[in-house]
Amino acid sequence: MAGVAGGNDFQWCFSQVKGAIDEDVAEADIISTVEFNYSGELLATGDKGGRVVIFQHEQESKNRPHLRGEYNVYSTFQSHEPEFDYLKSLEIEEKINKIRWLPQQNAAHFLLSTNDKTIKLWKISERDKRAEGYNLKDEDGRLRDPFRITSLRVPVLMPMDLMVEASPRRIFANAHTYHINSISVNSDHETYLSADDLRINLWHLEITDRSFNIVDIKPANMEELTEVITAAECHPHQCNVFVYSSSKGTIRLCDMRAAALCDRHSKFFEEPEDPSSRSFFSEIISSISDVKFSHSGRYMMTRDYLSVKVWDLNMENRPVETYQVHEYLRSKLCSLYENDCIFDKFECCWNGSDSAIMTGSYNNFFRMFDRNTRRDITLEASRESSKPRATLKPRKVSTGGKRKKDEISVDSLDFNKKILHTAWHPKDNVIAVAATNNLYIFQDKIN
Amino acid sequence: MLGRGVKRKWSCLEELEAEGVPAALVEAKQPNGEEDEGGLLAGVPPCHASHLQQRQKVLGLCLEKLQRYQAGVELSLRRSVLLINTLRQIHEDMRSDGAGTCTPAVLLSGVDPDSRLLRDDFREDTSLTCPGCAEGGGDGLSVSPPLSPEFPPQEENTPLDQKSSPTISAFSDAVNPMGYLSDLALDDIFEDIDTSMYETSDLSSASGSSLLWPVSVSLWADEDVKIRPLNHGSPGSLQSCLMDLNELDHIMEILVKS
Repeated sequence: MAGVAGGNDFQWCFSQVKGAIDEDVAEADIISTVEFNYSGELLATGDKGGRVVIFQHEQESKNRPHLRGEYNVYSTFQSHEPEFDYLKSLEIEEKINKIRWLPQQNAAHFLLSTNDKTIKLWKISERDKRAEGYNLKDEDGRLRDPFRITSLRVPVLMPMDLMVEASPRRIFANAHTYHINSISVNSDHETYLSADDLRINLWHLEITDRSFNIVDIKPANMEELTEVITAAECHPHQCNVFVYSSSKGTIRLCDMRAAALCDRHSKFFEEPEDPSSRSFFSEIISSISDVKFSHSGRYMMTRDYLSVKVWDLNMENRPVETYQVHEYLRSKLCSLYENDCIFDKFECCWNGSDSAIMTGSYNNFFRMFDRNTRRDITLEASRESSKPRATLKPRKVSTGGKRKKDEISVDSLDFNKKILHTAWHPKDNVIAVAATNNLYIFQDKIN
Repeated sequence: MLGRGVKRKWSCLEELEAEGVPAALVEAKQPNGEEDEGGLLAGVPPCHASHLQQRQKVLGLCLEKLQRYQAGVELSLRRSVLLINTLRQIHEDMRSDGAGTCTPAVLLSGVDPDSRLLRDDFREDTSLTCPGCAEGGGDGLSVSPPLSPEFPPQEENTPLDQKSSPTISAFSDAVNPMGYLSDLALDDIFEDIDTSMYETSDLSSASGSSLLWPVSVSLWADEDVKIRPLNHGSPGSLQSCLMDLNELDHIMEILVKS
């Protein structure tokens, strides 16, 4: 399953788009996170309105095997509500910052969702039968007088319309002073970590009233603060290992076996700065917005403002691969700083076999890089090309010189349309791309 | 690197003409310190001027962004840290520049309306010192952290750096924004910014000293201005919106009693 694009393998084609077509986008409808579960059967999105929407993959029909099944809404629920912190006189937004699925253990599904302060464990379960024939209660639910019950009736299960219930099982609150930017379920499936700007906590999924602080970079004197934690993730196989990235473009790998408090890292990944490209914006653009381990656990990928880097865990001094996402923006950094885009936090993801990576850009463009062939492609999530099974045309941004036909100039890029969140199906070539309030699903078209 | 200066300047010029945006992105590619030499070689090369212009622009935007926040909403710490580190970098850049190779005209032309606003505040509070120059003169001290709030007040007769001396009079008249930055701005802005509300654990120590991060915002801005004695050097616009928790207590006391 190589194949980012073009070439002999396959092409990406449109499958579905979710969300309103309306030009007026309600702030609450903006998608803030996208995540497939471990099997890829479910796809969850969170939005700025605190809602979680779960889509389920419908089984493909046997009559038409060339048609893959679609993702349809499975469950929608309000995960977080806006709150007010009276002590600090501050609003706590309901925006869902991250969703992480737990590996499935039984018929029900579990996921963690978090806003800036509070993490919640949700259970999503199905019910398609109900028990009927109790004679202990009246029809309105009141217990009947035991003396009036003369016979024993065994209730029977009657089929009913499928109902999907989402219920909050655990609420992990009051452990973060700063904004939570990451949650990550550990490979032991019992613990997870949550990271805010200055601290990382380790939780047990069953215990809500305590967590262990495993990283604390808050200086005694806040004046000395020059660096914040931007993302953190557990290793996919070694439950004692986790990494966190910083606003200075570095990544620290910590081993929880070394000490209870992992303020001292085991490994420190940093690429020396290229003095020839130094500018006032060097630090801002080197700030890492996302870090993801490969499925194999051998590599990790980091996203900074202009590039994606793949690091071998065994080599700390430089990444093994660097991919430019939108290098043409380097000459526009001043404007991007002016309009605050330079602070946008783009995420990145691996495909199921770790052979390709995907990340977002502006103008509803997203990029894919094939690690084997070193080919890359720019695609666009747009309504225009969203006809069923329509092949996605590669897009090109002209970089200086003459603009060729079908190319778009840097100046006409729409910086309000940004793709920050994408997800790749864990097994298949199916991707989910969040473009403001719309969720696009694309899949491969085997020729 | 500087041997190739001429070429670089041309490219800068071209970019300037091409898009009218300061082309300091290119200029900024040279490491700090080498610019002075470039300045000496060719007076004030256009490319250097554009670097200064952009620096000024970035500085103005930086300050503006640090001021501009939504009342009642917690700011992103990441953004604030990045902005303040950028301020620090500009500050370093200015120090290494020695303030000697630029003209006030260049600086003022690039000034954002908002940073000009701040500059006006500065004008009210200062005499004709040239803090930027004076500080540049204290090269021996420049190793110490530039943002220390305990900076001694700058004296007008502080020994001057050789580089800056030719332009000193121009600077002191123009109340240049650089001077504002290197002397007052960083210290005082940070002094007025308050993190104490962030600290649930350690309130007393946090509110005691001057604080750096604009991480919390008071909803009591108006009361603050009225009640609070303006004991800081610059009653800047930042100050009117920010205050620390101790003062909130104080205000509460007054309100409750009245």
